[in-house]
Amino acid sequence: MQKHRTRVVCMALMALALAALGLAGSAQAKLTGEFTRFGNCEYKNLTVKKCIVSTTESGEVVLGNKKVPIEKPVVLQGGYGKAGENGFGQFFGATNGITLSKAPQNVPGGLLGIVPEASSPALVKALIKFFLENKLTGVNSTLELAKPASEIWVSENNLAGEAEVALKLPVQIRLENPFLGKNCLVGSSTSPIKWELTTGTTAPPAPNTPIKGSSGFFEILEEGTILRSKGAKLVDNSWSAPKATGCGGILSFLVSPIINSQLGTTTAGHNTAILNNTVYIASRFAVNENNELNP
Amino acid sequence: MRLKKTTIGVVLAVLCAMFAASASASPSWKFEAKALEGTETVLGGAYESSMTIPGLTTKCENFLYKLSIENSAGTGKGSVTEVPLYNCSTSSKYCTVETIGAESLPWASHLATVSSSNYIIIEGVKVSIYYGGEACVLGETLVVVTGSAGGLINNTTETATFNATTLTATGTVLKALGQKIEWNGVFPTEAFQWHREQPLTVS
Repeated sequence: MQKHRTRVVCMALMALALAALGLAGSAQAKLTGEFTRFGNCEYKNLTVKKCIVSTTESGEVVLGNKKVPIEKPVVLQGGYGKAGENGFGQFFGATNGITLSKAPQNVPGGLLGIVPEASSPALVKALIKFFLENKLTGVNSTLELAKPASEIWVSENNLAGEAEVALKLPVQIRLENPFLGKNCLVGSSTSPIKWELTTGTTAPPAPNTPIKGSSGFFEILEEGTILRSKGAKLVDNSWSAPKATGCGGILSFLVSPIINSQLGTTTAGHNTAILNNTVYIASRFAVNENNELNP
Repeated sequence: MRLKKTTIGVVLAVLCAMFAASASASPSWKFEAKALEGTETVLGGAYESSMTIPGLTTKCENFLYKLSIENSAGTGKGSVTEVPLYNCSTSSKYCTVETIGAESLPWASHLATVSSSNYIIIEGVKVSIYYGGEACVLGETLVVVTGSAGGLINNTTETATFNATTLTATGTVLKALGQKIEWNGVFPTEAFQWHREQPLTVS
């Protein structure tokens, strides 16, 4: 009797273990080839229509007097739904939680904002970089999502058509160094910087002048299921930014105004975002099918 | 001194050659070697036609057109008034063509001679394609083809051929999704009104 009971328990445990293995297996992504990059898209969610991975490889963000070149790649990934009447599809964040990757970019001139002339001798440039862009006085600027991913909106027709707004992105810019602390922010969840990026031509208020984006060079891959656009240039130079807050920790009331004076005027017409991207878009259905066809 | 004269001579020769190649004479529409007077209607269906975005080709079994032609001040002109497109499909098993239609008609056209060959140049081309297919990345996306296209006229076969070479020769470009696309098509040039069954030539 005792032996029989032990056997039943053992069999039940084995069945449980097998079931667990099976579940673990089905939950794992088994994407192959070009589809592997879409592993963080909610491709099992039927309201998602397309999966997207957009890597900003270069460009610049001008905030008032400060120009920050994008030297480290920033990745926007997730999915988006069917376009509504306004032509925009709602974004679905990445399943790993990293919808917009955080890549700290060096602020030229650091805290003091001293940038050598382009014509300066190499030694002068190296010395300024050494003294002003070191761990203590150097400043990093990190682009972050200011709102949930559901508040990002994509218009693929505008993206392809080089007209009007293609991507609405609510962001905040985090300025970091040991002196500024970790909460020095331009923009916030309550007062985000609203980028309305276009692949067309902007119409900014003065003193900015129109700049032109580009939908890049398209190529259809994987039998029509994936689209790659190389050299997609998304631009916006009509946005405004709120004042920096939270800089310097408990000395914020003293430091934040100094940072704001360094930044200068950040109202619309004084800021620019130029993002040079390689964009991959796939049909959610195709990504899911690839997953199911490759156990 | 002699070198200077030779150099000037070479430069002049090159310039002359350049002008000769780029000069556009004024070809006109002719029926039985006589210049067309008044207007005529040219109707036809493409023998073959395809449009390619890199990685995806779209073909239509029935690519029809109606072109009204005339000679104006010695030059052949025209106006594409109808372009019905039917039975279209793509090279992808996942992508279908839900709707396709020519827009902004009529499209103005004119004849031009480039490097001793005669071309018809169609301007203001606009074709909207709405792709379908759940797995198709362009599914539910509107792709608009715009631009101008130059096709080589062949008086012997009575056709106009459009391809990358003829577009380059005429300096014309068709664009979709913000980039240059490829268009291949061979169209008969046959009159259907006053000069039915008379050979239409361009010279």
